Amino acid sequence: MPKNILAFLTFIIILSISILSVKGPVAYAQENTSESSSLFLIKESSTDDEAGFDDEFEDEFAASEQEVFDPLSGYNRVMTGFNDRFYFFVLDPVARGYRWVLPGTARRGVKNFFHNLLFPLRFVNNALQLKATNAGEEFLRFSINSTIGILGFWDPAKEWFGLEAHEEDFGQTLGYYGVGGGFHVVLPLLGPSNLRDMFSLYPDLQMDPVNYVENRPYNFPKQEGEYLGVSRQTLQAIDLTLLKTVNTESLRIGQYENLKKDAIELYPFLRDVYEQNRAKLIRE
Amino acid sequence: MQAAKKIIINLFLVSIFSFSFGTSFLFADEISEIREMTKEKVDHVISTLKDDNLSKEEKKEGILKTIDGLFDFSLMARLSLGKKYWTKLSTEGRAEFSELFVERLKQSYLDKLDLYTDEEVVVDEAKLTKKNRVEVLTYLVSKDDKKEMTYKLYKTKKNVWMVYDVDVLGVSIVQTYRSQFSGILKKESLEKLIERLRSSAELGS
Repeated sequence: MPKNILAFLTFIIILSISILSVKGPVAYAQENTSESSSLFLIKESSTDDEAGFDDEFEDEFAASEQEVFDPLSGYNRVMTGFNDRFYFFVLDPVARGYRWVLPGTARRGVKNFFHNLLFPLRFVNNALQLKATNAGEEFLRFSINSTIGILGFWDPAKEWFGLEAHEEDFGQTLGYYGVGGGFHVVLPLLGPSNLRDMFSLYPDLQMDPVNYVENRPYNFPKQEGEYLGVSRQTLQAIDLTLLKTVNTESLRIGQYENLKKDAIELYPFLRDVYEQNRAKLIRE
Repeated sequence: MQAAKKIIINLFLVSIFSFSFGTSFLFADEISEIREMTKEKVDHVISTLKDDNLSKEEKKEGILKTIDGLFDFSLMARLSLGKKYWTKLSTEGRAEFSELFVERLKQSYLDKLDLYTDEEVVVDEAKLTKKNRVEVLTYLVSKDDKKEMTYKLYKTKKNVWMVYDVDVLGVSIVQTYRSQFSGILKKESLEKLIERLRSSAELGS
């Protein structure tokens, strides 16, 4: 018997040692000791340099760092410069004027309206990615917001029922099934994209009701005929897209400028931001 | 004899049981402490930003004092440049790069928060990603949208948890600088890069 008890005791001792080593003392830097801690950091960093530069971190970041295949970089740089200037000289001033005219509540309403219209896109792509719950929630959101939310101008689905939107587009669906982004392409006016997302624009646009405004007797202005060789129907779609763009922009004035502050060189920076953000959206 | 055996086996089972639970509780305990610490600091930063009695300079000073113990800025500088280039720098070069870069990071963090003064910061869950890594998920919530911001912390040798990277909408700040730097350094020298940082710091101030 004593043999067993001895074994048991040993077991308990090993246990307690492992528990103690797991816990360890937890110390947090206090505000009033920030000076001494920063002094300490300088020391620590100098020892790290000698001891092989935080290899664990190096691996963490090096792993996601690949040589970017960027055959269009020349064109992309030029187009980034163009888009950047377009933003500063056209879009931003217009959005600021629009913001000045229209109160925030109205602009948020317009945003909700257009967002609600894009329900088919989100629903189909959630379904294609087999995200049944999300697709169901999107369906509920559309039903609630189109009725109680008065054509989608309000968002009671989120405010009362806590149903959040699940943004998905066709590019994300392709990514979900393992389609890589391909090389980076900066589109005129639309900004950063890549081969996969560029081709996904077509199905995405097909699912945007804004592009389906039809001739109806009560339409105002009239949809028939042409104007400067472009059908009025197309013009209406362009008008709506413009309104949507300016409205969205008016709700995020200053954000692009802010983002840009982290750029040393604009084009590679924006490319990286786009690709990292898309990768995250696809992972989810 | 038989009874004693049974007791020992039972004790054995109980201890295994409590061990497995005990450790997970210990982890959970530490993780929630990290979450609390991050929440406390971030809340403090936001309340400083919203305090109308303070001048812009006072706000900046107050915030930087709060986050100094939370962010490991010098590690962020090293990681952003990357091992390959860091090891090539002289001691003075490292010091200058760190100083310029850290100043830039701090300013960028302040600017980001400055834009969101009407927003609320929700500190969501903290999760253990590796043995000595914890990610704290936060949201900047405004009337218009909800932005995800993840603070990534590691345990220093002094058992202090500090932030080594921040993800905004899945975009890692360190990673972004890292690829920018390595792109530039393929064409230019390190001296020229530091020169660039210096001139943009002068422009900014």
